[in-house]
Amino acid sequence: MKDIVIEPWLVDETTHEFFIPEYMIQLAEEVLKNYDLSVQNMQIVTTKPDKGGAIWKLETKSGPKSLKLLHRRPTRSLFSLGAQEYLVEVRKARVPPIVKTKDGKSYVEAGGKLWFVAEWIEPLTPVTKDLEGARKLCYALGEFHRLSKGYVPPKQAEMASRLHKWPKNYEKMITKMGWFRNIAKYYPEMPASPPLLEVVDRFEEQARKGMERFLQSSYVEFVKQGTAHWGLVHQDYGWSNGQMGADGMWIIDLDGVAFDLPIRDLRKLISGTMADLYKWDATWVREMILAYHEANPITPELYELLMIDLAMPNEFYKNMKEVVYEPEIFLNEQTAQLIQTIVETDQSKWPVLAEIENDWKGVG
Amino acid sequence: MRILMVCTEKLPVPPLLGGAIQTYISGILPHVSQFHDITVLGISDSSLPEQETIHGVHYVRVPGKIFEIYRENVVRYVEANKFDLIHIFNRPRLVLPIRQAAPDAKMTLSMHNDMFQPEKIDPEEATAAIAEVAYIVTVSDYIGNVIRSLYPQASPKLHTIYSGVDSERFLPGNHPKMQKIRNDIRRAHGLENKTVILFAGRLSRNKGVDKLILALPELAKKFKNLALVIVGSNWFSENDITDYVAYVRALAKRMPVPVVTTGFVPPNEIQNWFAAADLFVCTSQWQEPLARVHYEAMAAGLPIVTTARGGNPEVIFANENGLIVENPEDPSDFADKIAQILSDQSLMRRMGEKGRQLAGSMYHWERVASELLEVWEQAEKIEQAVVSEEQAAGMTIEPLKEDATEQLNRPTPKADAKEKVHSKKNAAASSDKTKKGKAKKERAISMEDNQQTAKQKEAAAERTEPVKSAPAPKQPQTGRHIKPFTITSGNQQTLDASPKTHLNRNQAQAKHDTKHFTIASSH
Repeated sequence: MKDIVIEPWLVDETTHEFFIPEYMIQLAEEVLKNYDLSVQNMQIVTTKPDKGGAIWKLETKSGPKSLKLLHRRPTRSLFSLGAQEYLVEVRKARVPPIVKTKDGKSYVEAGGKLWFVAEWIEPLTPVTKDLEGARKLCYALGEFHRLSKGYVPPKQAEMASRLHKWPKNYEKMITKMGWFRNIAKYYPEMPASPPLLEVVDRFEEQARKGMERFLQSSYVEFVKQGTAHWGLVHQDYGWSNGQMGADGMWIIDLDGVAFDLPIRDLRKLISGTMADLYKWDATWVREMILAYHEANPITPELYELLMIDLAMPNEFYKNMKEVVYEPEIFLNEQTAQLIQTIVETDQSKWPVLAEIENDWKGVG
Repeated sequence: MRILMVCTEKLPVPPLLGGAIQTYISGILPHVSQFHDITVLGISDSSLPEQETIHGVHYVRVPGKIFEIYRENVVRYVEANKFDLIHIFNRPRLVLPIRQAAPDAKMTLSMHNDMFQPEKIDPEEATAAIAEVAYIVTVSDYIGNVIRSLYPQASPKLHTIYSGVDSERFLPGNHPKMQKIRNDIRRAHGLENKTVILFAGRLSRNKGVDKLILALPELAKKFKNLALVIVGSNWFSENDITDYVAYVRALAKRMPVPVVTTGFVPPNEIQNWFAAADLFVCTSQWQEPLARVHYEAMAAGLPIVTTARGGNPEVIFANENGLIVENPEDPSDFADKIAQILSDQSLMRRMGEKGRQLAGSMYHWERVASELLEVWEQAEKIEQAVVSEEQAAGMTIEPLKEDATEQLNRPTPKADAKEKVHSKKNAAASSDKTKKGKAKKERAISMEDNQQTAKQKEAAAERTEPVKSAPAPKQPQTGRHIKPFTITSGNQQTLDASPKTHLNRNQAQAKHDTKHFTIASSH
């Protein structure tokens, strides 16, 4: 067992929903021997076959727990585990406490990856998909960001920071607009190519304008304030990783946390929610930002950057970037339809952004 | 001196898996190890022992891959072993931890890319690191200038040492040793009767091969029988295809010109693809430090089209060994420059020959090594100057005995190596029985084989010329230290940035800006 290295595995129509290779089940059992838990039942609840990650739910005499196999590099996982520990132990945040091994460690290394056990929080229910739910989500996110400040990763951990990467991400977006155009140009016979060619200029222009505004923003000053000042972003926050518990909102699945400007999470939550609504709504956006602001105040400078980030063609980019993989499949009728929807939703974005643009003027 | 060379945490030395820094290190080792007792500290690899001594060079390998882990191991090693000088490759973040572990060692640093950028190293740490090292050598003026703009105080410590290439391994396709290889490769890949454009490098947005692919439709209108060969290791990888690789593949599929992709080519076979090609194109979109492939293309006698990005243009003598694309984001600029060369057969031939000549006269490892040796020697003196200043100020610092001795004895080749050095030029006649001697003997013979003898004599002449004209001739002991150094008083050094043969527009400017001083005091 010692030399096994966990690799991504293949799934196809012959494998069941939560299939994982046999050796991993054995590894999981080995890992559990490090814990003082009497496990009555063990059930796999999530798999990441393409990356080599998994989550089990454990029923134990001391209540339900989760066992997680983290797919990232061990040194990267250490960063996230340290954060989870800091949030629970130092900041008393509502994130699942980590269960220690028999010898007091917070993880086990097996198969070249880190595993850990945490409390399974019950009950947890998703918030309602309405403005009130959105407000709760945003407040909880702000709280999470505020409490994460001051985290110092353990010495052996990799430094996970995206704070410096904003310009690169924006540049990448602009570059890829060119890729989308070229792919559509060289695959003219595909149904989604003509609509893609028709709209790509507009979205590229949005990205370029966004970049110009970004370069005028206070970003450089923000970076100078350093990672500890800003705290962590969750990176995968949404309607399922923030849920209501008995005593308030809990935040789960922290394995992707990294240092960054916190509004990144907020922006993703807002633009994703607007996409779900198929149109932008000024009331929602305002209320979401305000709810966040109550928990983790946003300065006018940061608000400006949030506006810039919201104005980027995030949804178009997110949905089109797959095109490079198999253009002969991707550029089908369905994608043509999707482009149409994205364009319509995007049209409702601009009046909303114009309306809320000056909300923070003179605040602070 | 006892010298420790600290590699990066990414790839092992020798460069089994390639890598520019690793290639650089193994290129200079045979030369620098003749003068100093060298230990190379790098990362472990399953196919390499943790410790070994080859040709007098000690290799120590510790777990790495992740910087933090590597740093810990490096510090532990440095704490347990004493060195006179520690040379760190491309990791300014190792400077302070190593300084703590080795308070007395002299330190030098070589920079191969942008590791001094604020997102790579905290400015405070960078400032402290710069203060700790005696010299920072860079692979191009571009890299030096970037560091200078971020940290002006580094300016007097900066010194460009261009990298090198093994011109006996990278050979033109018409060289007797390469003709068969060239023909075999071309036959195997359907490239017979084609004009082969070569790209070699990582498939990434920064390296920009997509721009070259997009230039193909335009080129196909002007030239028949073109083919593009892409030597890029990450083309076929199944698991981890990046968006970029996917994009390039999708484009290549629809081109009017065949695009041959090689997948991973072992570093020791890469020269075969250079020999099979007719024109080399470097498509860097980013501010490239100065891609090694330029030297390799020159040695292989290929005309070069490269981009006006970073250090790349520093090795291109326009219209002599290649052309520079001023707008690398525009595929038609590539099409123009490529067409310009392809439509003039005699220009194409002349450029290739010029490249080959430059590789032999300027971009060879011995020159790289001798420049680095010179830096080390100067570094040794600087520390002494500091000590003496402090002594003058009444501080009680015991002068190290070793230092005192070394002050008297100029660094000379290690006793056992000295003979080999002298025998090198006449290696064919030498009776040296060591492996090292044999290797050199074989090399010397192959040099005679390759019908370039006249050119090499010329090259040798060029090599020594700067020494003759050196303004401050501290006679280099072997006549191989071609770069003259001048030193200002105290801890301020000014380096004459390059030998005369090196000058291009950037350097000419740098030289113009450089003030010359002579040594104010030598103890």
